[in-house]
Amino acid sequence: MPQLDTSTWSITIMSMIMTLFIVFQLKISKYLYPSNPEPKSMTTLKQRNPWEKKWTKIYSPLSLPQQ
Amino acid sequence: MNENLFASFTTPTMMGLPIVILIIMFPSILFPSPNRLINNRLVSLQQWLVQLTSKQMLAIHNHKGQTWALMLMSLILFIGSTNLLGLLPHSFTPTTQLSMNLGMAIPLWAGTVITGFRHKTKASLAHFLPQGTPVPLIPMLVVIETISLFIQPMALAVRLTANITAGHLLMHLIGGAALALMNISTSIALITFTILILLTILEFAVALIQAYVFTLLVSLYLHDNT
Repeated sequence: MPQLDTSTWSITIMSMIMTLFIVFQLKISKYLYPSNPEPKSMTTLKQRNPWEKKWTKIYSPLSLPQQ
Repeated sequence: MNENLFASFTTPTMMGLPIVILIIMFPSILFPSPNRLINNRLVSLQQWLVQLTSKQMLAIHNHKGQTWALMLMSLILFIGSTNLLGLLPHSFTPTTQLSMNLGMAIPLWAGTVITGFRHKTKASLAHFLPQGTPVPLIPMLVVIETISLFIQPMALAVRLTANITAGHLLMHLIGGAALALMNISTSIALITFTILILLTILEFAVALIQAYVFTLLVSLYLHDNT
């Protein structure tokens, strides 16, 4: 059994560690898994006018909600 | 003759330099990392396979166990591609080396066990004694369970080594027999050759199955410890 000859063990183990733990993991970590396309929700966010975001003195009375 | 049989398992050298590092690194060339938006067929197929395998293998794990996904997937791809490339004629198979398999099995097993003792100390210690053991048997069973824990990585490495080595030896022997029988009786040589073809198909299956088994067992040790 030439496998039991321990003189080559260190080089084999070193190259295995470099391949498995570094090269393979770096390569596979770059794989991309795009999710399947799905329809977006149709309800759009209501954009607020700039003067609605904060209180200002030029607050237009016409843009106030009806009371 | 005895030396000839095992000659293909000696670590190859070229002009006195070990080229095993190139041989072990070679399978990584077959897995190009994609850098485009649309992949080619090879990369798409590989990514589909990795996704399929990881979904199947990581379904049993909790969130903590699933952090090992990259490790397990690179392990199965590395062992699988090394085994398959080793079936090429006149090639050296690194997975027949006990050293490499021990080098893979011991750190991964130790990682799972240390994770278990670090985060689930009580549950890990409870593995040392099955529930409902009669009191007089307790000391002996703890010793046996401890031994069985420490034999796990050895079994993992020896299983892979023995399976791949035995397959290669059998193919070598039957191939030699088929060649020798050619001069004696062509019909028997043809039968032997058919057996050789069937055995080669079996070896292709074994190459993938052993990669799967190795990864599955590491995954099970991880499942016990997370």
